[in-house]
Amino acid sequence: MEALFVNLAAVLSGWLTSLGLSPIWADTVLLFVKWIIVITIITLNIIILIWLERKVSAFFQERLGPNRLGPFGIFQTIADAIKLLTKEDIVPSAADKLIFKTAPMFFIVVAVMLYTVIPMGQGMEVINLNIGLLFFISIGSLSTIALLMAGWGSNNKWSLMGAVRSVAQMVSYEIPLAFSLLGVVMISGSLNLQDIVAAQGKLWFIILQPIAFITYFIAATAELNRGPFDMPEAEQELTGGAYTEYTGMRWALFFLAEYTNLVAVSALMATVFLGGWQGPWLPSWLWIIIKTYGVILVFFWVKWTFPRIRMDHLMSFSWKVLVPVSLGNILLTGAGIYFCRWMGWC
Amino acid sequence: MIEFSGLSLYDAVFTAAAGVTVTAALGVVLFRNIIYSALSLVLAFLGVAAIYFQLNAGFLGVIQILVYAGAISVLIIFAIMLVMNRPAGRTNLTSPRTREVFTGGTITAMMLTALIAAIGLSDWPKTVLLKGADDTVGMLAELMLGDYVVAFEAAAILLLVAVVGAIILAKGVENK
Amino acid sequence: MNGQGLIKGLGITFKHFFQKEITEQYPDVMPQLAPRFRGCLQFEFEKCIACGICVNSCPNNVLSFETEKDENSKKKKLLSYTIDFQHCMFCNLCAEGCPKQCIYFDHNFELSSFKREDIKMVYLRPAEMDMREEESTNGQEQQESKEQKQIDAMQKALQKNPGKVLSKILEQEEDIIILSELMQSDEKTAGKIAELMVKDKEKAAKVAAGFVNKAKKNRAKTETAGEGGDAND
Repeated sequence: MEALFVNLAAVLSGWLTSLGLSPIWADTVLLFVKWIIVITIITLNIIILIWLERKVSAFFQERLGPNRLGPFGIFQTIADAIKLLTKEDIVPSAADKLIFKTAPMFFIVVAVMLYTVIPMGQGMEVINLNIGLLFFISIGSLSTIALLMAGWGSNNKWSLMGAVRSVAQMVSYEIPLAFSLLGVVMISGSLNLQDIVAAQGKLWFIILQPIAFITYFIAATAELNRGPFDMPEAEQELTGGAYTEYTGMRWALFFLAEYTNLVAVSALMATVFLGGWQGPWLPSWLWIIIKTYGVILVFFWVKWTFPRIRMDHLMSFSWKVLVPVSLGNILLTGAGIYFCRWMGWC
Repeated sequence: MIEFSGLSLYDAVFTAAAGVTVTAALGVVLFRNIIYSALSLVLAFLGVAAIYFQLNAGFLGVIQILVYAGAISVLIIFAIMLVMNRPAGRTNLTSPRTREVFTGGTITAMMLTALIAAIGLSDWPKTVLLKGADDTVGMLAELMLGDYVVAFEAAAILLLVAVVGAIILAKGVENK
Repeated sequence: MNGQGLIKGLGITFKHFFQKEITEQYPDVMPQLAPRFRGCLQFEFEKCIACGICVNSCPNNVLSFETEKDENSKKKKLLSYTIDFQHCMFCNLCAEGCPKQCIYFDHNFELSSFKREDIKMVYLRPAEMDMREEESTNGQEQQESKEQKQIDAMQKALQKNPGKVLSKILEQEEDIIILSELMQSDEKTAGKIAELMVKDKEKAAKVAAGFVNKAKKNRAKTETAGEGGDAND
C-alpha cells in the first residue's frame, strides 16, 4: 500500500522506455500524466469540499445542509456543477473582453501550479524542487494579478473595488506569510518540502514554531480571501467582488480555483507544521489527506464563527501586528538555534 | 541533450521562454491600452523567470516571480488605474510628432548596435557548472551575507531610506 | 487578554456543531403551528347572515358575495361567497369582525397552485339549505319551532340576567332575588317560568308569586327549625 503510487509511476516509466522513448522524454510524458492526475484529484476533490463546507456550515448553524440528492446530499455538488457548466456564458458588453476571459483561466492555472511541489506522500510529488517552499509562495502571489484582471475586465465598480481590496490584502499578507515560514526553514535548513517533512521525524514544527503556525494560519486565511477576511468577495456589500459579472462556467472556474488554493494551502500547512505525510500504521498518502482535511475543517470552523472584519482593521492588523510578530519569531528562532548549538543539543 | 528534428529539448524550452519574453516586451511598447501593456509586462517577467529556471538559477527565478510579477507589476497596475483619466483604449499612443519618434528611434538603434557589438566582441569565459549547483540558495546566501555583506546591507539601507522618503513625500511632514 | 473573545467564539460554534438541528423538516414532518396561526381562509356558508362586515373590513378587497332578497321573509339570502385569496394579507380583520364566526383562518398553509384562477375560492349556496327552509315553511311546525326557540332564548336570558327579566312579572326586589335563587337550584322552575312568560305573561306573574310565597314559607320553617336546633345544643 505504502509505495502503491510510486510503483505505478515506476512501472509506467519503465513501459515508456521499453517503447523506445529516451529517458528524458519518458520523464516528460510521466510529468504530463502526473499533471492529469493532479487536475483530476482537484476537480473530484472540490465536489467533496463544497459539499463538506455546506454540511459543516449547516452543522455550525444547527441546520441540516444539503440532504436531498443522494445519501446525505452528497450528489448536490454534482448537480450544481452540471447546472453551472450548462449555463449561458454571459460577457458584459462593456467589459474588456480579452482580460475578462483570460482572468479565470489565469487564476486556475496559478492555483493548479501550487501542487507542483507539495509532497503527497513518501517520494510522491510532481517535481522535487529544491526551493519548493519559495516556489509555493511566489506562485501564490500571482493570483493577485488574476483577481485584478477580473476586477478590471468586468468594467464594474463593485468588481474593481473587490479586486483592489483583494490585491491590497494579498500584497500585505504575503509578507507575514513568507516570514512566518522562515522560522521553519531556519530550523530544517532547507527550502525543499521533502527535507522539511524529514526534519519533522521526531517533533512536528507546530510545537517548535507555534507563533509561526498561528501567524501563517491568519495570513493564509487572508491570502485565500476566506472568512473572516473575505472582504474582496463580500457578498453582502460588494455583491461578490471581482466575480460579480461572471456567470456559469467562468464563475465556476473561479470557485474551483478558490477551493484549489484552499486545499493547496492546507496541504502546505500539514506539510510544514504537522509532519507532512509522516504517521504510523497508515500509508503516507493517506496521512497527508487526513491532515489536509483536518486543516481545512479548521478553516471552515474559523470562517463560520467570525464575522467579516473591516478593511482598514485588516490592513493595520497585518502591518502593525502580524509583520512585527513574525519578524520577532525569526529573531527568536535564530537566537534559539544559536543557544541550542552553544549548549550542544543539536 | 536529446536531438529532436535538429533541435534539442533544452533549445526548444529556451526558444519558447525567450519568444514569450520578447513578444510580451514588444506588447508592452506597442499596445494602445496601457492596462494591456502592464499585463504583458507581467508576462515578460514570467518569461524571464522561466529563463532563470532553465539556467539552473531557481532561486532567482522564484524571486523574479514573487517580487516582479507578483508585487511590482501589481503596484504598476494600481498606479495606472489611479491616474488614468481618459478612455483605456487611448492611453498608450505613439507620439504624434515625427521629431520625437525620430529621436527615440535613433537612440534605440544606437543602443541596439552597442549591445550587439558588446555581445559579439566580448570574449565570453566558458563557465563550468559549479559542483553542488543544486543548492543555489546556499551559495547565494554565502555570497550575499558573507563576501559581499557590506554591499548587500548598504543596498538594504538605501531601499529603506527610499521607502521612508517616499512616505514623507507622499504624506508631508507634520508641522508641530 | 486579546484574543480571548475569539477563542470563546470558536468554543461556542464548536458546541453548536454537535447540537441537534433545530430546522423544521417540513415536507417530511409537518410543523407545529401556533393555535392562532393564519393559514387559509375558511367560510361556513350556513352560518353566514350576509351582513357584509367582512367585505367592508377587508383592506384588499379579497372578499365579495352575492345576495338575493327573499320574497317571503324579506330577509337577505346569500347566494355565493367569493374569496380571491391572492390579494389576502392575512390581517384577520374579516374574521375579527364577523359576528357569526363563519369566516376564520385554518392551519392549512400549502396554498400554492399552478394557475392563478385556482387561488380563488368560490362558495355556492348549498342545495340542502334551501330545502330545509322549504320544509320548515309548512305552517304549524314552523310556528312551534319558533315558539320553542323563543322559550330557549328566554331560558338563557333568565340564566344570564334573572333580575332584569323577572322584574317584568314581579314587583318587589326581595321577591325577585328569592325567585332567581330558586331557579338556580331548580331547573324545572326556570323552564316553567320561561315557557309561561312567552305564552302568557299574567299567568306567569301569578305562578311566580306562588313560587315566591311557597319559598318564603319554606324559609321561615327552616329558620325556626334551625333556631330550635341551636337552642338544643
